[in-house]
Amino acid sequence: MGYVAAVAGEELIQRAEALFEKQRVAGDSDDLTLEQLDDQLGRLTSQVMSEAGLYAPRLAALAVKQAQGDTVEAAFLLRAYRSTLERFDETRPTLTSEMLACRRVSPSFKDVPGGQILGPTKDYTQRLLDFTLADSETVDPTAGWELEEAGEPEPLTNVMELLREEGLVAAPENPAADERREPVDTTREPLTHPVSRDAVLQELARGETGAVTALGYSALRGYGQVHPTLAEVRVGKLPVRIEHPYTGEEVTMTHTEVTESEAVVPLYAKRDDPQFAFGYGLTFGRNERKAIGMTVLDASIQVNSTEEPAENAEFVLDTVDGMDSFGFIEHLKLPHYVTFQSILDRIRSIRERKEAAAEPTTDQPGGGDETDADKVETDRGRSIEASQGAPEGSNGD
Amino acid sequence: MEGPANRTDRCELLTVCPASKLADFANDILADGAELSIRQAPRPQLLMQQVVEPVERRPFNLGEVVVTPAEVDLDGSRGFAIMPGKAERAALSGAIVDAAVAGGHPLTRQVLAALERAGERHRGERTREWAESKHTTVTFETLEDER
Repeated sequence: MGYVAAVAGEELIQRAEALFEKQRVAGDSDDLTLEQLDDQLGRLTSQVMSEAGLYAPRLAALAVKQAQGDTVEAAFLLRAYRSTLERFDETRPTLTSEMLACRRVSPSFKDVPGGQILGPTKDYTQRLLDFTLADSETVDPTAGWELEEAGEPEPLTNVMELLREEGLVAAPENPAADERREPVDTTREPLTHPVSRDAVLQELARGETGAVTALGYSALRGYGQVHPTLAEVRVGKLPVRIEHPYTGEEVTMTHTEVTESEAVVPLYAKRDDPQFAFGYGLTFGRNERKAIGMTVLDASIQVNSTEEPAENAEFVLDTVDGMDSFGFIEHLKLPHYVTFQSILDRIRSIRERKEAAAEPTTDQPGGGDETDADKVETDRGRSIEASQGAPEGSNGD
Repeated sequence: MEGPANRTDRCELLTVCPASKLADFANDILADGAELSIRQAPRPQLLMQQVVEPVERRPFNLGEVVVTPAEVDLDGSRGFAIMPGKAERAALSGAIVDAAVAGGHPLTRQVLAALERAGERHRGERTREWAESKHTTVTFETLEDER
């Protein structure tokens, strides 16, 4: 497989780019500031950071502005920027139980320790257009709240720990050894199958939201065995900790906003000791839909079957990455002149031979037609094969 | 947390102090004629955030965080700062401030006071956020109980 270069005038390409940029500035409205994007469209910048696998709120706002709101394009811009940076270090592994949650709900345990904290959500209200937002001044609806003293933020008990205490979830065989093991980094090592679970989690965490949601949904719609109950969903801030270069002590240098989801799945493979299987999702930013989709996919992949798309790790991980899918789908609009010319030549050739074969001959009526028709079929088979290997073919370029 | 006089705590407090405040301090420190050499120029870099998944307790790479570290030598005292995001000016200012405090610069008292205030403000914001979230704590009732 190879490429055939196509050239065009650089100035014309720049003109097209200028027209694209003009669309952003053409209206009479003021230019969007990065602060406005970061403050008011936080879900959008969250999605971009999550799909880029890069936490940088202000740069995500810049990417959204530059991409004119195209989330995958914006994530691409962030990944391109990322590729220019050196790796400073890895953080010390953080337990998600240390999260400072602003929202935690458990759909499975009504009386969960720490309480059901709804936090900022519109989950329980009607989805109706609010026309007052169109032209009224922004008002903080919580300004009049009289808050009770809640003290310092406290970590919330993980629901999975409650199940583990009852023996309903298998304990890790050797957690100490597991924690010591360096996880696979899929940004540096190519995925190989069978894939380790840490690699699955990293790839799903930076998967495209729509793809993760759709594939997770496919399992729920019957294309899979997994229909989980969510143990909990959390949104909050995770500490980012490094070792201070002078003191060697742990420093919490910032926090990342994340969304976490855990699910239990009743699977009774061990008849003598039935326990829950589980699924897990964690992603940058506020994106509950994606975290839950990731949870379903994590649980489905552990079924390890090729029967259903969501249970096939290779299928899922080959299709959830937004950069991969966006690149492949959108590259089809780029010049494919040689590919197309090659296909045209073959089809014309087949048609010509077929027309020639259809013309009656005087010495061998009937029998000659059959022989030529067979030949056309053989040629057709060859030509399809050849076009799949053409220089600009879409498979593998 | 012991406070900004402690080097580890100071590193955390520098990240929550306004960049303009750090820049003002750094300018004042350099205006005094302090000799500055830059050991590590402030440049955005990547920090891979590792998280321990709670079910199997397996660590995995969640994603990278953009950070800007910087390291300086100021009149023989070393200073280090690391800021979240692409923040070259804040990181360099922070490293100068860190070195100045380590070397006992005359502005140390003002710097420590400003860092303490920044820490208090940050803790106050966190406490308020937590109180707001707790204000939405709900008890779900199942209708089945009432039948």
